[in-house]
Amino acid sequence: MRTQEFEIGSTALLAPPEETLSAQPAAQNVLRAFIGRWWVAFTASSLSVVSGHLLIKAGLNAAAATAPQYVGLARVLHSVLHVEVIAGLLIYFLGSVCWMIALAQREISFLYPLSSVNYVLVVMTSYALFSEAISLRRASGVVVIVLGMVLMNRRAGKASA
Amino acid sequence: MNPKLMIWASVALSALAQVFLKQGLCNLQRSVGANSTAPSLALGVIRQGFVWLWAACFAAATGLWLLGLQKLDLSYAYPLVAAGYVLVSILSALLFRERVDRNRWAAIGVISLGVMLIAGS
Repeated sequence: MRTQEFEIGSTALLAPPEETLSAQPAAQNVLRAFIGRWWVAFTASSLSVVSGHLLIKAGLNAAAATAPQYVGLARVLHSVLHVEVIAGLLIYFLGSVCWMIALAQREISFLYPLSSVNYVLVVMTSYALFSEAISLRRASGVVVIVLGMVLMNRRAGKASA
Repeated sequence: MNPKLMIWASVALSALAQVFLKQGLCNLQRSVGANSTAPSLALGVIRQGFVWLWAACFAAATGLWLLGLQKLDLSYAYPLVAAGYVLVSILSALLFRERVDRNRWAAIGVISLGVMLIAGS
């Protein structure tokens, strides 16, 4: 039931014309991995979004440690010009592309609640990598947000399932 | 500027950016026909003021995010992004007259509660 639905959508939206494919066999293989397997695109998107934000934060921490004297625009530039921040922004952008590839295959009402796993992952990894203090209140806030996102898409999800 | 305020402004600008993009693409759909060529479509996008507003808000939101995040925990700032769902839902109901059913309002309430818990943590 599902298979038919996303195969029609994905081949129409994502498959490039034949001639460009034969010219780039590597790109073809990458594309094949994404098409028809929404979870590949979704997992790639989740991992990229989470690691992108972690990299940005790591870069900002480093920038704050080296030059706190800058203010305003100079400060934005100083922090953006950090390798980790640029890499983080790029990875985050790639994650958004993967998210759109996943969206082409499954409906929003199915993917949005799943994507709330990003909140949980970001909070857990911030604790692990940056030793951020996670209070009970902060942890429960994340759980409530995940519940809310599941609720937000519940009815639509049932209707289209 | 207070870093918490920067994160909130960033989240609000991102939501506003979504609304501008939606309006820009709706205008584009009206101004160029369904079977238009790629160059005319690209020109149509560039001519849309709302698309530029989207880009400006997006850039400002990114800058504010980086500035605010420098001082705040990632585990504090990132969950606040969820407030964007609340704002976009309310803005689309007000501006585009999109139907928001009871279930969605309830969800907006629950997400808001979660965001408030985070904001006070």
